[in-house]
Amino acid sequence: MSVDGFPIALSLKVAGIALGIVAPLGVALAWAQARRRVPLPGLVDALVLLPLVLPPSVVGFFLIVLFGRNGWLGGPLERQLGIRLVFTQSAAVIASCVVALPILVKTAQPAIEAVPRELEAVGRSLGLSPAALFFRVTLPSAWRGVVAGLVLAFARAVGEFGATLMFAGNIPGRTNTMPLEIFAAYQSGDDARALVYVVVLTGLSAAVVLLAARLSPREAIA
Amino acid sequence: MSGVKDVNAVHPPAVEARFTVEVGVNGSHFKLESELALERGVLVLFGPSGAGKSLTLQALAGLVRPSRGTIRVHGQLLFDGERRLDVPAHKRAIGYVPQHHSLFPFCDVAENVAFGLPRAQRRRDNPEVRALLDELGLAHLASSRPASLSGGERQRVALARALAVRPRLLLLDEPFASIDQDGRVQLRKILRETLARRDTPAVFVTHDPAEALALGDSLVRFERGRSTVAGEPASLLRRGQPVIVSGELSGPPRPLGEGRAEVTLRDATVDAPAELLEQGETSGLRLELRTRPRDAKDPEKAS
Repeated sequence: MSVDGFPIALSLKVAGIALGIVAPLGVALAWAQARRRVPLPGLVDALVLLPLVLPPSVVGFFLIVLFGRNGWLGGPLERQLGIRLVFTQSAAVIASCVVALPILVKTAQPAIEAVPRELEAVGRSLGLSPAALFFRVTLPSAWRGVVAGLVLAFARAVGEFGATLMFAGNIPGRTNTMPLEIFAAYQSGDDARALVYVVVLTGLSAAVVLLAARLSPREAIA
Repeated sequence: MSGVKDVNAVHPPAVEARFTVEVGVNGSHFKLESELALERGVLVLFGPSGAGKSLTLQALAGLVRPSRGTIRVHGQLLFDGERRLDVPAHKRAIGYVPQHHSLFPFCDVAENVAFGLPRAQRRRDNPEVRALLDELGLAHLASSRPASLSGGERQRVALARALAVRPRLLLLDEPFASIDQDGRVQLRKILRETLARRDTPAVFVTHDPAEALALGDSLVRFERGRSTVAGEPASLLRRGQPVIVSGELSGPPRPLGEGRAEVTLRDATVDAPAELLEQGETSGLRLELRTRPRDAKDPEKAS
């Protein structure tokens, strides 16, 4: 039995890039929601949460409607810039982003909400600009929740299956991430090959759960 | 502002403010009408909780925005509702010490004190930081984490940190309220001395009359969302409070006219609500008596 390392490397690469995109966006959204700085907060909250609740195939379908060759964004992209997203690694990244974002926002938001207002008031009185306040007071106070959110979001991105299958396809050597490879291997009766990726993904998820649990007890606040 | 200096304002008052703050939405609405002035020294905002003292402080700091009015600090206009002027909190150079959550838990004591300094000066061996730690008796705690400090130590660190950036005004929101009696008396003394050395004016919120008497050069009383009366702390706080004084007269009463007389007592003991008198401040007590027509010696009431 020969193990193909490509799905492992691809999964980590796709999830890593997705995390790089989602991290600043998700933390900014979590902050904006925690501080009630969002216009139409209910609508924004619902939009962020939706991918968490929708069936993955529905998310995949929406992504095709949006980014497909004739999609609202995908059409102009291909015609104007010659960029085609469907059945590419970029599509896998986008699918991972969409499902990872809500987990990051919903984990980081309560942590940011829990930062004592007095602490931020003190920071402002010491002359910190709004940006400095965020990076020197808010983020260091809420870092546990934010890191927990990043870790969980990464795990979710690695495990993304349904939307990826529809939007990025399962093209060996191009878009066959671990979850897709497990499904394909099992379908073709190669359980041993499936098991390799099952073990890798289970190990990764277990590590994530342990790490997230270690982050949850909060440091005593003075 | 045209940049022309006001020639009359050689020493403009430390604080001059008159404003309205409205907070809350729908069901819970709170309206605060605040008026206060401080030439120099310490102004105490006194009153029960929920009266609007803290909100007044937050408006001075720029943390909440009044709906109308003006706020001046050392003559500079920081807020003007009509001119739509609102200097943001981080540009006001006004220090702030809250009651809780006053220290950054992720920084040690020295880092806390240096927190507001420009990056280049934010070093542990900065002589200014060291001097402040020494002055407030914190040198031995420089590397301690806030979680390991006592309440009094924490508030001393918070005070040092606020003073490190040389604020033109210091705001303290019941900073000693959760500290035991002995610690509180000691902290008041430290605060008074520290402020006096720098000539930094301060606005101090408290509901504790002893604290108001010990710290305040002037006082504004707050009740149900309004600043009601202003004046000297002693006259405002002692008025109408029952005080029983016993002791031996050291001489005959000195008539003051209008049925009043002044006496001096030897070895006086004073029985007053504990909060009216700072411990150890009863010496040199002068009493003013209201005399009755038939018995001028009955010390029925002292004010």
